[in-house]
Amino acid sequence: MSEGVPLPYPARDRDTTPFWEAQDRHELCFQRCAQCGHVRYPVGPLCPECRSFDFEWSQSSGKGVIYSYTVVRHQTHPAFPAPYTVLLVELEEGPRLIAQLRAPEGAAFGVGTRVSIAWEDHPKQALPVFAIDGAAP
Amino acid sequence: MSIRNRAAIAGVGQTEFSKDSGRSTLRMALEAILEALDDAGLRPEDVDSIVKMSANDDIYEIDLLRNLNLRNLRYFNEVPHGGGAACGTIASAVAAVTSGMADVVVTFRSLNERSERRFGETTVGGGVGHWRQYYFPHGLVTPAQWVAIHGQRYLHAYGATTEDLGRVSVLLRKHAATNPHAMMYARPITLEDHQNSRWIAEPLRLLDCCLDTDGACAVIVTSAEKAKTLKGVPAYITAATQGTGSRAEMMTSYQRADLGRLEESEAAARELWRVAEMRPEDMDVIQIYDPFTPMVLLQLEAYGFAKPGGAPALFRDGSLELGGRWPMNTHGGHLGDGYLHGFSHIVEGVRQLRGTAVNQVINPKTCLVTSGVGVPTSAIVLSKEAS
Repeated sequence: MSEGVPLPYPARDRDTTPFWEAQDRHELCFQRCAQCGHVRYPVGPLCPECRSFDFEWSQSSGKGVIYSYTVVRHQTHPAFPAPYTVLLVELEEGPRLIAQLRAPEGAAFGVGTRVSIAWEDHPKQALPVFAIDGAAP
Repeated sequence: MSIRNRAAIAGVGQTEFSKDSGRSTLRMALEAILEALDDAGLRPEDVDSIVKMSANDDIYEIDLLRNLNLRNLRYFNEVPHGGGAACGTIASAVAAVTSGMADVVVTFRSLNERSERRFGETTVGGGVGHWRQYYFPHGLVTPAQWVAIHGQRYLHAYGATTEDLGRVSVLLRKHAATNPHAMMYARPITLEDHQNSRWIAEPLRLLDCCLDTDGACAVIVTSAEKAKTLKGVPAYITAATQGTGSRAEMMTSYQRADLGRLEESEAAARELWRVAEMRPEDMDVIQIYDPFTPMVLLQLEAYGFAKPGGAPALFRDGSLELGGRWPMNTHGGHLGDGYLHGFSHIVEGVRQLRGTAVNQVINPKTCLVTSGVGVPTSAIVLSKEAS
């Protein structure tokens, strides 16, 4: 992250506030439908599978595999100096999460690589990142 | 009752495309609309409807009403979701015309997308809402970066390479090179040029990305019956539809089952071929929405021109060249002609069927035009004859 330039941060609303508050506690939590058990993401008021409004927050293991990724080499935002790698991680619970990779320069990874969550604090919002399993971050 | 061939595009208009138009989007819209009306043999007094794209636009219906001194507008409507709306404006116009709610519909797109407001620009500071709150804080902030995630998955799923992406770009620049209207006129590229262009967001290079363009296009829709009586040679609207997919967001939709496919385009294709009573094999020329090269491959598969993973072969065997089975983006598309949010593809489709295109295909009778991808989308089939 670049010093001095604030990250874009999530504008919390009445649906998403608990999701982001959990991240400030370094917990990745998803809504699990109280009726059918479906784990849904992004955050929303209604279960898209059974249309129940009832849900509970359930914590993710933070473990998953890389479903896709991009290495951003053309900088477009002052808070994000290029290059940096953004992963789309398919988590054990089902949802896919976008977050940056933290790995040593030249570390091998690709679609299917196993990764685990870690946390970084920022002024307005703690955010998850991922490290490659079995490698020093 | 089917809408099949009951409405037609009676006129088209288009300004020059450039990096700096030197005038307002309103001025360019008016120029394109007047040209389209003149092309059709209609006057502003004949217009009773406007259907426009709603995203990134500050031209309101009343601005056109006031400047053109239009009579009462019986029907006006706006179609959301960015470039997915282009053919959607035609679909809405067809609904209005075939139901009797409107007689002459103006649709248009006018952008100073290079000199004033670039779509890839991101805002700095402040909170980010809606679906973007899950992506912006992690540095995924532009359309190229969102699409790169889909592109990488496609390459992985089918063993395709960035050279397969490059061949899309080479074809578009080849068609633009012989189109004097195109921003990339007389500037063809080789596959080597593509591979040597700088990375934007892997697997996308600079030459995988569309241009930034100032310009405007306009299209006039009326009933097939009326179109036959007008000066402009009609292009009959054989089918027009919109389409959506599961777990939809704008260009991300990362929760859906398979990111190596385009659900919205598949949905639009099913409805389009049903209404048209045609198949991909029946198309003589195709205009495919081309913001980034992977999205061209995914659409060719979604609309049935190739099986999943089969689109790269169409670029290797010449199928999409001017003399091929399905000449594609004959004006050079968004990577070669200019980026008009899908509207220049409609104009080019009409010109091909009229026989007045710069890179004219021999006597085409049918044309597919598709609109924005990874968003709620739309598409039309145009025909030379209303049979």
